Amino acid sequence: MTLEMKSFFNSEMNQWKLEVKGEIDVFTAKNLREKIKDIYNKKQKDIILDFKQLNYIDSTGLGVIIGAYGRMKEKNNNLIIINAKQNVLKLLTITGLDKILIKTNF
Amino acid sequence: MTDLLKFSIPGKPEYVGVVRLAASSVANRAGFDVEAIEDIKVAVAEACNNAILHGISDNCCNYEIAFTLDEKKLTIAIDDNGKGYDIGNYQEPDLANPKEGGLGIFIIRALMDEVQINSNTGKGTTITMTKYI
Repeated sequence: MTLEMKSFFNSEMNQWKLEVKGEIDVFTAKNLREKIKDIYNKKQKDIILDFKQLNYIDSTGLGVIIGAYGRMKEKNNNLIIINAKQNVLKLLTITGLDKILIKTNF
Repeated sequence: MTDLLKFSIPGKPEYVGVVRLAASSVANRAGFDVEAIEDIKVAVAEACNNAILHGISDNCCNYEIAFTLDEKKLTIAIDDNGKGYDIGNYQEPDLANPKEGGLGIFIIRALMDEVQINSNTGKGTTITMTKYI
């Protein structure tokens, strides 16, 4: 029921890494939105969302990610999810978001 | 033999996590496997999101959740006493052009065996969902 986030900019790869831990739901999704907005305002580069420690995400969380993806795509930046757990992957697959947010060769 | 569990939950986002735990617990008791428990948890939470975001106004009031359990199935009804809406206006999300909203009901239908939505403008919405054991 909590969400922790850690971000750092990888200068070598020229991209952000945002690690999320806990749950992204109707209560915590706005924190994710603010965090993504925050780092993207600092540097407009690709963002890698590392979901290794994410236990749960709901449609409000997916909505935040879709929104961010759309805005970043306009500026030719990518938003990519890596290390999604099985249950999160299932939701991404059901909604078709796996096709646009998960890239296996990243 | 049918067992009925009822919860009345404040329409605040911070309590949906509590409902998720309750739903997981009931689904576990019913004998569902891990994946089915997760499906039920997600579907129930999405219905709660709907109750909070589209049903009850201004963080006021409670919405009701009833779990009905027998040997064959688990049925969950989420009932808000909010604004209600015209079900005819619901549009399936276009997955090729994802938008920020509208995925909740789609997800519920994908994860549960039966889903029924009853809503009338001004009278609130009840989402009833069933998963067979």
